[in-house]
Amino acid sequence: MKGINLEIKASETVAIVGASGSGKTTLLSLLAGLDTPTRGQVFLGPYELTAMDEEQRARVRAEMVGFVFQTFQLLGSLTALENVMLPAELKGERSAADSARELLSRVGLGHRLNHYPNQLSGGEQQRVAIARAFASSARILFADEPTGNLDTTTGLHVIDLIFDLNSEFGTTLVLVTHDHRLAERCMSSVQIASGELVTDVSSAL
Amino acid sequence: MHFELALKLLWRDWRAGELTLLLASLVIAVGTVTTITLFVDRLQHALLNESATFLAADRVISASDPIDPAWLEKADQLGLVRSETLSFLSMVFSEDRAQFTSVKAVDDHYPLRGQLIVSESPFVGGRPIDRGPAAGEVWMESRLFPSLGVAPGDVLDIGVASFPASSVLLKEPDRGGGFSNAGPRVMMHLGDVPATEVVRPGSRLTYRYLFAGAEPALEEFEQWVRPRLGQNERWLGVREGAESIGNALDRAERFLLLGGLLGVVLAGVAIALAAQRYALRHYDHVAILKTIGATPNGIDSIFVIILVVLGLMATLLGSAIGYGTQLGIVSILDPYIPIELPAPGFRGIWLGLVTGFICLLSFALPPLLKLRATDPVRVIRRDLASASVSDRMTYSFALAGTIGLMWWYSADLFLTLLIFSGAVVVVAVLSVVAWLMLRSGRVLGMQAGSAWRLALAGMQRRGGENTLQILVFGLAIMLLLILYLVRTALIAEWQATIPVDAPNHFAINIAPEDVAPIRELFETRGVRAQPLYPMIRGRISEVNGESARERDRRRWRSGERDGDGGPGASSDRNLTFAVDLPDDNKVVSGTWWPNSYDGPAQVSIERSMADSAGLTVGDQLVFSIQGREFPAEVTSIRAVAWDNMQPNFYIIFSPGALDDFPSTYMTSFYLEKDQKLFLNTLLGQHPTMTVIEIDAVIEQIQTIISQVTLAIELVLVLILISGALVLLASIQASMDERFRQHAIIRTLGAGQRLVLGSLAIEFCVLGCFAGLLATLGAEITVFALETRIFELDYEMNPELWLIGPLTGTVLIGVVGIAATLKVVKTPPSTVLRQLA
Repeated sequence: MKGINLEIKASETVAIVGASGSGKTTLLSLLAGLDTPTRGQVFLGPYELTAMDEEQRARVRAEMVGFVFQTFQLLGSLTALENVMLPAELKGERSAADSARELLSRVGLGHRLNHYPNQLSGGEQQRVAIARAFASSARILFADEPTGNLDTTTGLHVIDLIFDLNSEFGTTLVLVTHDHRLAERCMSSVQIASGELVTDVSSAL
Repeated sequence: MHFELALKLLWRDWRAGELTLLLASLVIAVGTVTTITLFVDRLQHALLNESATFLAADRVISASDPIDPAWLEKADQLGLVRSETLSFLSMVFSEDRAQFTSVKAVDDHYPLRGQLIVSESPFVGGRPIDRGPAAGEVWMESRLFPSLGVAPGDVLDIGVASFPASSVLLKEPDRGGGFSNAGPRVMMHLGDVPATEVVRPGSRLTYRYLFAGAEPALEEFEQWVRPRLGQNERWLGVREGAESIGNALDRAERFLLLGGLLGVVLAGVAIALAAQRYALRHYDHVAILKTIGATPNGIDSIFVIILVVLGLMATLLGSAIGYGTQLGIVSILDPYIPIELPAPGFRGIWLGLVTGFICLLSFALPPLLKLRATDPVRVIRRDLASASVSDRMTYSFALAGTIGLMWWYSADLFLTLLIFSGAVVVVAVLSVVAWLMLRSGRVLGMQAGSAWRLALAGMQRRGGENTLQILVFGLAIMLLLILYLVRTALIAEWQATIPVDAPNHFAINIAPEDVAPIRELFETRGVRAQPLYPMIRGRISEVNGESARERDRRRWRSGERDGDGGPGASSDRNLTFAVDLPDDNKVVSGTWWPNSYDGPAQVSIERSMADSAGLTVGDQLVFSIQGREFPAEVTSIRAVAWDNMQPNFYIIFSPGALDDFPSTYMTSFYLEKDQKLFLNTLLGQHPTMTVIEIDAVIEQIQTIISQVTLAIELVLVLILISGALVLLASIQASMDERFRQHAIIRTLGAGQRLVLGSLAIEFCVLGCFAGLLATLGAEITVFALETRIFELDYEMNPELWLIGPLTGTVLIGVVGIAATLKVVKTPPSTVLRQLA
């Protein structure tokens, strides 16, 4: 990564696009505070992530960040409901179960609350992951190739779900994808090549 | 805190089977330690109790004069039970015969430990009884009845008093084999002694004060008494009471201790492996938790809670299992152990609990604490190497835990460090050798068929892990081999100490004219006997021109001689002469005289006497025998195997030196139980000789040795179980990688046979290498252990070089294939999906 200067406003939806190995996932990791740059600064809301240690960054993630990953990343040993309850539980909230149940019905999995990830299809797993991402009342959602492991139809369904929930909750969305149709649904998109920002095409909308 | 979350994760992991092996390892560690400690504790107490019967007490003060009454008051204050006996030599008269006997007068409390065995008729029958004769009657040893020509119930005179000989005394616990009790035994009540008027000033008397009670009180009493002991007072503990049993006990304890240590280390390795695997399988979990906001401290607290809950469960379960196993062992052994086992103490349970937690902390905590450092980016990039805090931390935890536990068990820092540094060296050498072996395996494999190539290539690709695995296998097998070898050597040594046909009777006071007829009688009756040795009573009167008595006193005062023992120079001794060095004697200094020696008198002195009396080769002695004095020079010092049950002498003269003195003869011989009536014939024909029966003592020693042997075998079995568990844990730990590899190979079209074949070859080769290493390590360690710790003679074990690799191959081959059969049975797509 070099010479990246990027600002994303609250409630914006931004796509990061680029070829395989261009560095888009690295950029996402840096923005989300999963990783730290050797030089430079990253701010997330009121926080300067680059001035924090892992412990503090984890607290920021718990407070305001949600994730959706290409490989779903559910805890295999927990049920769908328990996976969705996790973020709230980590924050120490008590009534995690009710809102988790609500979210799962919202993503159409109200009937599969007590299924384990390996009993769910890929699309269903991703929907659980989406429910989990919104369960933490996140203010910003990072999605890393959310449809990369899904067939076209299921992928579309998942994308609809993400955008619907996003506007419903008023969340900022940062999306890594190499799918241009997906990028087009965002307000703006950022192209990366060899770790550099190629264009910053603000949406005409 | 994340208590609920931690419990939930724990519960889910448990249901998913992730924790089974970790929990099993922990439970086995705790269970093994608890079982061994409880059992050994009970057995030790039982053996000590049993050995105590050789003293008829827990501790004894033996004295030639009555001891200070203040000592007895002290014993009473400490709550000790006590008893008194008085032994002296006296003539006993029947109507028409007389016999020189060794009288022992006992009070109402005798014996404090063990039992007397009495019978209604000489030599046969017998029933145990807890007290000595009542006032007004005496009990006599079997052989006195024929030699005095009386039957049970007849009246005898001792001094000026008369007593009926009401019962036959077959066995007394503290009879011992010494010659101070040479005469046949008459036992009477202590209260009857004054009436006999045989005890007068100047009589040779032995007072024995017997004490029994709780161990702390006994120890306090010992510490109080020891500094107060005078020249004529000796303190006797269980070990002093029975030298050969003391040695056997010492070694058995050390062995059991060693076994316990190795068991813990094995279980520790199993725990570490299981925890490592658990941690590895949780890196992804932790990464996910972190992306949704779990902090490193939060992760720590989650896994510490999991570990503590797991530890509690494991220690409770392990202790319960250990307690149960120990009870089971005891009940199985009950018919074979004729001694009563005391109730198990709390120490074993406590030790098990603490061991569980120390194992958990030192072996399982470090890998789990590494989880905190998991990089959350791992969620996006799976190929990212698992973050490692520092392997140094893991190892130092494990090392500290192991050393701590070893030290705690053995209470012997030197032994701990010795075993530990030995193990470190062995591990270092073995890892290099294992790595080299793997390399050479690859070279060989290149020419082999495809299952071989697959197996060997796989082994080398995971070279690092496989080196570790060979090391773990090798270590486990090595520890088992060591225990097996040491056990075998110990048992062989014990059995050699007292062979089944060791002489169990001594005959003394044989007149010179009886020597030939007795020799003939032995021969015609087929009794195996040792040579007849001449025996003359005498003492050293001068050492290098100084009075021996003065010299002893001076040395004792100046502290050169121990207060409580060691033979002095001036005491009365049985002297003998011999042409050849007796069996089991070894000259340690100077030289034994030549066969045909016929010069001025020379003497050979036994080593312990030479040490305590301060005699060396070249000292000029003057002997006083039957009122005449004559000089002799010390020309050799001998080591004597005192527990060989044969006639042994402190002082042996060169041939011819004692020709001028009338002597009696002695020998030892072996009689089967059903040959005992031969004694009637022997004593009937030669009434002046004395026979000392030590068959009961020998039987007791053999009983104890077989019990200890049994205990050792049991511990070995327990350790074997731990060892098998380590193997299983180690194979489990490598399972994921194998699953993945073989699933891929099978999707590429490899048949089940090929996969199974390559697995079999891989495990067998690993096992064979491990077995070879184990053999090498075991030989080195056993050499060190046997020569340094157990004081045995080391011998190479050539058969080991076959047994070791073979055991490794078969054991690991079978366990490995059984454990990985699932790899072959599971459809590859399932495996790949699960591992995705």
